[in-house]
Amino acid sequence: MKILVTGAGGFLGVNVVERLLAHGHSNIRCFLRDKSKAARVEGLAAANPGCKLEICCGNLKSKADCARAVADAEIVIHLAAGLKGAPAELFVDSVVTARNLLEALGARTEPPIVETRVVLVSSFGVYGVVGLGRGARVDESTPLEQFPERRDPYSHSKLRQEQLVREYQQKLGFELVVLRPGVIYGPGGGAFSNRVGIQVGPVFVHMGGGNLLPLSYVANCAEAIVVAATHPEAAGQVYNVHDDEMPTASGYLQAYKKHVKKLRSVRLPYFATRFLAGRLEGYHRRSQGQLPAIITRYKAAAAWGGNTFSNAKLRGLGWRPLVSTQDGMMRTFEYLRSQPESK
Amino acid sequence: MGLKVAIVGCGKIADAHVEEARKIPGVEVVAVCDQEPIMAEQLAVRYAIPRWYTDCAEMLSASSPNVLHITTPPQSHLALTRQAVSAGCHIFMEKPVALVHADVEALIAAVVEAKKKLAVNYWPNFEVQALELHRLYDSGVLGEAVHIESYTGYDLAGEFGLALRRDPDHWVHRLPGKLFQNMMDHVLNKIVPFLDDDDPYIHAIAYKRDGGTGDAETSEILDELRVIIKGRQTSAYATFCANARPVGQTLRVYGTKNTAHLDFNARTLVLERKQSFPSALGRLRPPFQVAGDYLRQGMRNVGRFRRHEFHFFDGMRTLLTEFYKCIENDTDPPIAYREILRVSALMEQIFAQVYPEVRP
Repeated sequence: MKILVTGAGGFLGVNVVERLLAHGHSNIRCFLRDKSKAARVEGLAAANPGCKLEICCGNLKSKADCARAVADAEIVIHLAAGLKGAPAELFVDSVVTARNLLEALGARTEPPIVETRVVLVSSFGVYGVVGLGRGARVDESTPLEQFPERRDPYSHSKLRQEQLVREYQQKLGFELVVLRPGVIYGPGGGAFSNRVGIQVGPVFVHMGGGNLLPLSYVANCAEAIVVAATHPEAAGQVYNVHDDEMPTASGYLQAYKKHVKKLRSVRLPYFATRFLAGRLEGYHRRSQGQLPAIITRYKAAAAWGGNTFSNAKLRGLGWRPLVSTQDGMMRTFEYLRSQPESK
Repeated sequence: MGLKVAIVGCGKIADAHVEEARKIPGVEVVAVCDQEPIMAEQLAVRYAIPRWYTDCAEMLSASSPNVLHITTPPQSHLALTRQAVSAGCHIFMEKPVALVHADVEALIAAVVEAKKKLAVNYWPNFEVQALELHRLYDSGVLGEAVHIESYTGYDLAGEFGLALRRDPDHWVHRLPGKLFQNMMDHVLNKIVPFLDDDDPYIHAIAYKRDGGTGDAETSEILDELRVIIKGRQTSAYATFCANARPVGQTLRVYGTKNTAHLDFNARTLVLERKQSFPSALGRLRPPFQVAGDYLRQGMRNVGRFRRHEFHFFDGMRTLLTEFYKCIENDTDPPIAYREILRVSALMEQIFAQVYPEVRP
């Protein structure tokens, strides 16, 4: 069975390839945009000489490259997406590329589309959490965001990507599995999610406070993707992905300061965050955008409103974390400590 | 002012066009269009624009805009302009205007023939300090222009730079002047108003300094360009630089009386004056004069910030206001077509020197 992994050279992608190999899958096409990111996948290929690990470089903006990518693949694990940049760029990198990939699948004759499974890695950002209230539980039944244009462009583009994939699922009839990870972290990733806070000049403004941080250690997230991608009962299902133990945002920040480096931080309680967001929003409107509305009351409620989370459905599929949160954080901090910018 | 604006091309720069056009009272963005439906939709949704299209002719027919903003890659500008002026639209266009000089001439001819108006988004030239520099020059404070230095920096790791580095098929790579063609308008359009010669001597050299992306197709992009221009009485240096930091944008006009230095990023304009004091006294005074100039400029900028006149694209809003006014009043457009043509002609000569193998 040939499995295609898009975004295979990325932070999560390499781990997904690693977990596929660990689960005994031996025919994997690794699609990546940037040849310079192929080194780790090449390392995996060298370490698994009995496996067919095909490195396929291309750009999902190209329809020809998409056709090459999906040829013969029975499972398509679609990780490639825009993570940062201008809104238009995010829509190109997440939505247009997903459309091109699905069009290529639709144009293919073998294997039949109805026998093909598409695994979309979406995001917690697609949930409409603003009206839920403090402490409300976010699970797979939580409604999707109704006002994506009021959220950050990344969440907006990921929601549109998921909607588009569902439209194509209806049209083409492939099996669809959607995974929505929380905060993916680990060696090779960043230090902080916005859920902890944001860096403003020399100061880290900590808005997350005592909110639970839905961390998903990168290897655990990859394991969840592989389990869901290959489990027969996962067809047509959505799974939230986060680890069992979740630290609070302030707990994570304290641990970072202890194990990585000192950091000047200011704690901003939620009511103060909402107040400042309102002021910034008002100023942005009055000044016609002289300062960007990085934080609005709506965005603040989505990021720091304070939810609880459940991964019960994913556990029901048989997924178990490979690395505990404690170990995951220590490995991540060790990596961050080794980075030049932390010295 | 009551103008209906439509936009064709929903990439990154279209955001600025929507935002700045909307700031002008009486202007309404009625529709957007992109061949890629996802891109047209996302722009319309994010800015609550009532209609979006994938076909420009359909948009022009259904929404009947007065002005079409063309923010597509330059390969499509000439055809879209012809289509839009036939539909009765005036044109506001992103640079570069077209692939080759002949197309720029044809494009302007189409606009003139249809009795419509055209402006190109040379927005830095409409920043407050740039307008002030031209007032100083016109009033004789600088004397005659002897030499001009126009410098524009670029960040290949920035939002726009990364987009083209990551994508070997990016439209910028298909321009005859490649990366330079997408940027040299902004370097040369600052020189052209001071240049006294339609056919100056030009010597251009380009080279690669960046370490590359690891991708053979994009890592060979030349990223440094130096141009020497010599007119009858005025010379110029035009510099495009992708590796120096900070990423600057400056213009220095050396006049027969005084020299002006304009920093577009810091939004300052200072004069370096001929000294009247003798000997050591004449050397003591200039730092204090320049410091005073910077202090005054800083205070003016604070005032502009307080009055909400300190946006990134303030120059674009000023240019758009002038352009929309010229449509309403049927007066000359804010940028003379002759200047647009001279910029384009200079660019073509430069690219012929740095990419002699490319035949557009």
